[in-house]
Amino acid sequence: MLPTLNVTGSMLLVERISTRTGKLRPGDVVIFRSPEAPRKIVCKRLIGLEGDQITYVVDPQSGDRCETIVVPKGHVWVEGDYIYNTKDSRNFGALPYGLLEGRAFWTLLPRKDFGPLTPKPE
Amino acid sequence: MRQWRSIAKEAIDRASIIVKFLCLLHVTDAYVVSSNHVLGPSMLPTLNITGDVVLVEHLSHRIGKLGSGDLVLVRSPLDPNRTLTKRIVAMEGDRVTLSLDPTRSFSSRSLVVPKGHVWIQGDNLYVSRDSRHFGPLPYGLIEGKVFMRVWPPNSFGLLG
Repeated sequence: MLPTLNVTGSMLLVERISTRTGKLRPGDVVIFRSPEAPRKIVCKRLIGLEGDQITYVVDPQSGDRCETIVVPKGHVWVEGDYIYNTKDSRNFGALPYGLLEGRAFWTLLPRKDFGPLTPKPE
Repeated sequence: MRQWRSIAKEAIDRASIIVKFLCLLHVTDAYVVSSNHVLGPSMLPTLNITGDVVLVEHLSHRIGKLGSGDLVLVRSPLDPNRTLTKRIVAMEGDRVTLSLDPTRSFSSRSLVVPKGHVWIQGDNLYVSRDSRHFGPLPYGLIEGKVFMRVWPPNSFGLLG
C-alpha cells in the first residue's frame, strides 16, 4: 500500500460503522479478513462495488495486458496502491462483502503521516 | 441538596448495574453463544421448514476446530445482509465431486477446495443454494457452529 501507508508499519484509526450501513465508496481504504488466510487482516483500497465494471492490469511487471470484469453481486474489488507488489483482487478475485471489517480514515503513526488518508495517487 | 445527591447516586448505581448486564449480554451473544431463528427448506429433514430456534456457539470457528459434517451459520457471499445455515461437506485441501447433469450418471466434475475456504451444502440438495452454485466459501464468512435446537420443544436437543 505504498506510498499511502508506511512500509515499516502504520497505525490507523478504523471505523466499523460504514461497512455495516453499506456507505462505502470507491477510493476508501478498507480492512478485511483475507480470503486465503482467515486469521489475517489485510488493508487495501476499495476500487469497485457490486455491479461496477473494473479494468485492471493483469500483471504490471510483464506488460500492459488489461482485463475487464463486472464485480459480481455481494462482492467488492480491492487493490493495493503499489500494484507491482501486492496480493489483492487481481490474485484472489472479487472479495465477498461479508469479509470487510472496517474503513480506515485517519493515520496516527508514523508522526509525519498524521492526518486523513490520501486519495489514490495517480 | 443532600437528598438530591443521594438520589442521584442511587440512580447511577442502579443504571450501572443495568449497563453492566447489557454489556455482558452483548459479549456473550456475539462471542460465546447466541440463539438464532433459522427457517427455509434447504436443511430438511435436519431443520424444519417453518423455522427453528437454534443455539449457535461462536468459539469453534475462531480456534479452528470446525470439520466436515458440522452445521454452521455463515454470512451469504451473494447478499451480505443474509445469514445461511448449511453443513460443511469439505474443508480446505479436500476433493469435492459435483454431478453436472442428474439425468446422466457419469457426468461429474471434481475440484479441490482452495486454501482458506470450505465447501458447504444444504441437507436438502434439491432446493438448497450452496457451494454448488456460488463456489467454495471463504472461511472468514463463517459466523458460528449450530450445536443445539431449543424450539419447537418436541425436537429439543443436540444437533449434528
